[in-house]
Amino acid sequence: MSARPALELTALTAGYRDVPIIHDISLALAPGSITTLIGGNGAGKSTLLRAIYGTNRWFSGQIVYRGEDIHALEPSERLRRGIAFVPQGRCNFPSMSVAENLKLGCYTLAARLHRPRIDRVLSLFPMLRTKWSSAAGNLSGGEQQVLEIAMVLVTEPSLLLLDEPSLGLSPKMQAEVFAAVRDIAAHGVTALVVEQNVHGALLVSDTAVVMELGRKFMEGPAASVRDDPRIREAYLGGNIKETIEA
Amino acid sequence: MTIDLAYVLELVLNGLMLGLLYALIAVGLALIFGVLQIVNFAHGELMMLGSFTMALLLPLFGLSYWPSLAMAVIVTALVGAAFYQFFLSRVEQTEFERSILITLGLSMVLLYGAQYIFSATPRMVDTSWGFEGIEIGAIRMTWTRITGGAVALVAFAALYVLLKWTQLGRAMRAVAQNREAALMVGLKPRVVSRNAVTLAAGLCGLAGGALAPIQLVQPGMGQAVIFKAFALVIIAGLGNIPGAIATSLALGMLESWIGGFYDMVWQEGSVFVIMIVAIILRPEGLFQARGMRVG
Repeated sequence: MSARPALELTALTAGYRDVPIIHDISLALAPGSITTLIGGNGAGKSTLLRAIYGTNRWFSGQIVYRGEDIHALEPSERLRRGIAFVPQGRCNFPSMSVAENLKLGCYTLAARLHRPRIDRVLSLFPMLRTKWSSAAGNLSGGEQQVLEIAMVLVTEPSLLLLDEPSLGLSPKMQAEVFAAVRDIAAHGVTALVVEQNVHGALLVSDTAVVMELGRKFMEGPAASVRDDPRIREAYLGGNIKETIEA
Repeated sequence: MTIDLAYVLELVLNGLMLGLLYALIAVGLALIFGVLQIVNFAHGELMMLGSFTMALLLPLFGLSYWPSLAMAVIVTALVGAAFYQFFLSRVEQTEFERSILITLGLSMVLLYGAQYIFSATPRMVDTSWGFEGIEIGAIRMTWTRITGGAVALVAFAALYVLLKWTQLGRAMRAVAQNREAALMVGLKPRVVSRNAVTLAAGLCGLAGGALAPIQLVQPGMGQAVIFKAFALVIIAGLGNIPGAIATSLALGMLESWIGGFYDMVWQEGSVFVIMIVAIILRPEGLFQARGMRVG
């Protein structure tokens, strides 16, 4: 590969308090690519995203972003450097208006940038303009998901980590979120996405990484992972290990 | 008993003033609870600290009110910041019991420390205004009372602007509403928490300083107020700032009326009776769904 990876993990081990959840993960993300993380419940997908953003505990290994190991930086510092993370579930300020939520999204930016950046995400997601004064908690699930993505997009990140962006959304809304992710990546943003809708996610991704029991199990172009019989088997039921052993 | 209109009006005005100063305490308590999920039992002692700072500095500033009040706010706010840095920052969100023990312990240390240094004898605090005031007909209010109420009103207006329109205040509401989302947008919960404690302590200093020339200053004065403030915050719904202000005003008024017409015993007990009734009827607080929340 000629271009420097957008993110490079080397033997990363991380978890919560005294318990490592993910072990020895090595991974390189190509700039502007979309990578989907696949794996069963408890495989450590969310833990991996949190470790990259720094909201859980690092044990060992490297997280190299733009040539610098960032494992000791606070999340706010990582955000300032261009890494953004949208956690799973509803992650906004429910009793504040959409406007206030977006202004808080601008928290790490200089004041003069707030207006233009918010205008830009509003043109990307016009729905938010119509809900400008509504409390975030009164938006539909899909609208809240879009709002949360917009709240980090105002920082114009170069690496976007999304945890289950389509969870609980209608199929139509899911398609819109996938389209938005593809649109964002087309502007050069690298995306690492955890998805429960594996088929839908693989269709829009370049690369897929399969995790199992806290370790990386498989990695490859999305198309070939999609056609892998073990993956097809696993997502029709049962976990991957059992499938291989059988 | 004939009820004299001027007397009733005087009671209302005094109640309003008292309620505004209670509200300064209650709002700080609500703010700390909202942002840190900690019930600050040392809150009343911070107010007491404000009163003593005012009492000790007034003679140094030639009895002049404003510089002494300003210093009371600054000193108390700095003590609050140090309190956060050395003690509260070590308490995790989930360690509710530890937070109670730490703040309760600190409350005791401050209370008995003040008693050791200043003795328990109540002291009268005099300002250059003395007992001067304004008289409209039969109603009389001293300048210290009028100023106390006015200062509290200005503080609320400033607090509203801060919480509603500045990133500093928005950040406090944000951490109170969703910590994970706060991390997502790059807030540092520790910095926001320190700001909230400093601000709440400053409000205590303001209330304590303003109360000093109105009430007797003594080390136990915080204890008398703090449990009322807890009751107010609970009646309003934890973390609800406008609710806390409204209930504080109502309480000040109620106390003033009861104190004016009945025995002192009823005055002290009434708020807790209301609190218990409120908890049973409206467990989420009277002002649950409305207003600007920090929790």
